[in-house]
Amino acid sequence: MTTDSLMNDHADRLAPFFHPALFYATEDEYLDGVGGFVRGALDEGQDVLVAVPGARLKLLKEFFDGEHERVMWVDMTDAGRNPGRILSMLQEFADRPGRDARPVSIVGEPIWVGRTPAESWEATRHEALINLAFEGRGLSILCPYDTALPEEVLAQAYRTHPVVGDSAAYRASARYTDPREVCRDCDVPLPEPRDAVVLAFGREDLARVRDEADHWATAAGLSPERRTDWLLAIGEATSNSVRHGGGQGRLRLWRADGELVAEISDRGRLADPLTGRRRPDPYAPTGGRGVWIMHQLCDLVEIRSSAQGLVLRLHMSVK
Amino acid sequence: MPGAAVPAEREPGTGHHSSVVFADDQEWAAHLCAFVRDGLARDEEIKYFADTTDPGRVLRTLGDAGIDAVAAERRGQLSVSTAAQTYLAGTGFDPDAMIGLWYDAVEESAARGYAGLRAIGEMSWGARDIPGADRLLEYELRIHQEVFERLPLTAWCFYDRRLLPDDRVDVLVGAHPANRGGPVGRPVLRVTPLTDRPGLRLSGSAGYDTREAVAAAAAAVRGMPTARVELDLAGLRHLDTASLATLAAAVADRPAGPPLGVRHAPPPLRRLLDLFPEFGSAVEVLDR
Repeated sequence: MTTDSLMNDHADRLAPFFHPALFYATEDEYLDGVGGFVRGALDEGQDVLVAVPGARLKLLKEFFDGEHERVMWVDMTDAGRNPGRILSMLQEFADRPGRDARPVSIVGEPIWVGRTPAESWEATRHEALINLAFEGRGLSILCPYDTALPEEVLAQAYRTHPVVGDSAAYRASARYTDPREVCRDCDVPLPEPRDAVVLAFGREDLARVRDEADHWATAAGLSPERRTDWLLAIGEATSNSVRHGGGQGRLRLWRADGELVAEISDRGRLADPLTGRRRPDPYAPTGGRGVWIMHQLCDLVEIRSSAQGLVLRLHMSVK
Repeated sequence: MPGAAVPAEREPGTGHHSSVVFADDQEWAAHLCAFVRDGLARDEEIKYFADTTDPGRVLRTLGDAGIDAVAAERRGQLSVSTAAQTYLAGTGFDPDAMIGLWYDAVEESAARGYAGLRAIGEMSWGARDIPGADRLLEYELRIHQEVFERLPLTAWCFYDRRLLPDDRVDVLVGAHPANRGGPVGRPVLRVTPLTDRPGLRLSGSAGYDTREAVAAAAAAVRGMPTARVELDLAGLRHLDTASLATLAAAVADRPAGPPLGVRHAPPPLRRLLDLFPEFGSAVEVLDR
């Protein structure tokens, strides 16, 4: 049982912040590595959040013989479909009121086989931001990586995790990289759409833009329920352009492979990469409320912040 | 509330607070004469608060129409003054002070034996850089519940299209239960007092671009003197978080009571309440 070998790294577990990547190839390795991590945390009386893809969730639940009262089980393919909203969930779990002073442990598997390259880049950005968000905090976040994932995805895991390993042992990652540098590297060029509807807007055009985005999405087959999310997200993004992005912006709308995409670009910038990654005070007009809402409502949010301005691509599945 | 002892002497209705939109002198004169003639016939006191119109011209116009305005003025039944001499004479426009003035005026009118008070106000000052002018919409929204539901008062708010931008006229006219003037456009967000219960109707699309109208609606909600206040959102297509937060914050400023009741909650409101349960203490969907 390799749980013991994991627990031999007791010193690491008690480090202020423990954020290992665990590479696994088989279900047994998964259960050894992840199951052992959860078991160890429970043995120490910790609360545990397990956010992994549904099939893995089922495996772990069976391993623990059903629900464990100190474990919160979350299907990451749903809660973390948009990688940009995972960090908010993790911080909410770590900070939830009424929790005793004991550290918490989290299993977060943000990338699985089948993730698109765009999703994987944003998930890698999320992994890097974990290091910024929890710097100096006493908690452990284990991130399992399926070795069947593309090489370039696995390579990024070595850059975003201070510690890497398998079900046998962990070691410091020699390739660990400053999170801000990783975020910059995640800003890969966005592919240009072929047929986009283009709407330039200023303050006076916001209502027209909302209505046109509504009509366009209706014609494109988006369900009424998802259209509500789509319009709330676009409304937040376009009003941010007017408020923070130089007073105007450009909205482009297009269809792509089973999804709708809205791109909002302006002359603003996202100074803090953690903007929108923590549940905001709903009454506070600043503090990332708009970006947080976009992350909650969309299936994917791609962010590109540069000296030229800010580009947000909001993706919404039509399936 | 100043003068709160003055009882309501008639059934509340929708016609006591009206907007009158016009674009030329002939239309202005026709509305003016109809209003004064009706008031004299009802033995009501009549006040005209001018902004840009010379008071002498008001009297001449009435006289030209065969109304003995001079006699009415001499016996104190008709008065023509300017906003600058009266309610704008202080530091600017203050909706709270203005509401108090209505109570005083109605009380004085009743003491002099008139059957009621009716007033015309030229509202073109609302487009100028007068302190408090940005609270005009708040005032128009508040007075239905805080004044007209409680006092024997009829008021026509004169909006001269030559002096106010169309989009501002459209929004301000929407705040009146009735419009007796020419047609107006549909504003992006229209806010109207409910006439069958304390509350407001919001229709159209609320976002960053309409935040001033939302702030006025919130101020009206904050000031409503009843425990239960409702919003009818049947015609609201879009609502953003900031608008909801503004309305919810106004509820938090009210004396302790039930949350703001919402009828016909549109999908974005329901979604935002899911995302932010914190708003649930201030806003309650009544027809889930």
